[in-house]
Amino acid sequence: MQYLLLIYGNENAMLNAPKEASSQMLGAYMAYTEALKKSGVLVGSNRLRPTAEATTVRNPGGKKSVINGPFAETREQLGGYYLIEAPDLDAALSWAARCPGAAHGSIEVRPIWTM
Amino acid sequence: MKVLLLMYQDETAMQRLPREEYGKLHGAFVAYVQALKDGGALLGNHGLRPTGEAKTVRKQRVLDGPFAETKEQLAGYFLLEVPDMEAALSWAKRHPTAPYGSVEVRPVWT
Repeated sequence: MQYLLLIYGNENAMLNAPKEASSQMLGAYMAYTEALKKSGVLVGSNRLRPTAEATTVRNPGGKKSVINGPFAETREQLGGYYLIEAPDLDAALSWAARCPGAAHGSIEVRPIWTM
Repeated sequence: MKVLLLMYQDETAMQRLPREEYGKLHGAFVAYVQALKDGGALLGNHGLRPTGEAKTVRKQRVLDGPFAETKEQLAGYFLLEVPDMEAALSWAKRHPTAPYGSVEVRPVWT
């Protein structure tokens, strides 16, 4: 089964982190990505640019609006994702717990809809 | 540039759409995916199962449900390759689920 791990963290804290802390974090993410690859679990992943660059389109009842910023203002922001192939939810959750982002924020685990 | 389109919808309302409307939406969705493919813009897309099946890991604890309770819920995403943000927004505006909620456009970090 495929699962999407959504990484939520405080992007301001991340962007303003001391250089040493942010390079440590980057290293931890590289190691994590490598571990996912080695286990044959990784399907895809991307890091997102900060929510200041987000735009949201709404079109309720044909009335289009384009709004600067993300869909929802939250205390932590979506910063990236991993799409993984795991035998079951428990395995996906254990990968989520190992994600470096789990130490500072939240990892939401969502099963992918298979047609 | 790569962008992620995130689809947010009221999942309960979507599950209760009349059959005919749902069928129309499904048709529009298939056409939209084909248009993206024909335009060479589609890198990947996935639908997500309802947030009732979501779990959130926080400080080594596993919680039921999504990260945030919102009026609309993340229902899926499209990863696109587009020349610029304007093109991304024009795809977002054409998205068949835009009338049912929000489509958030996020540039990918390269």
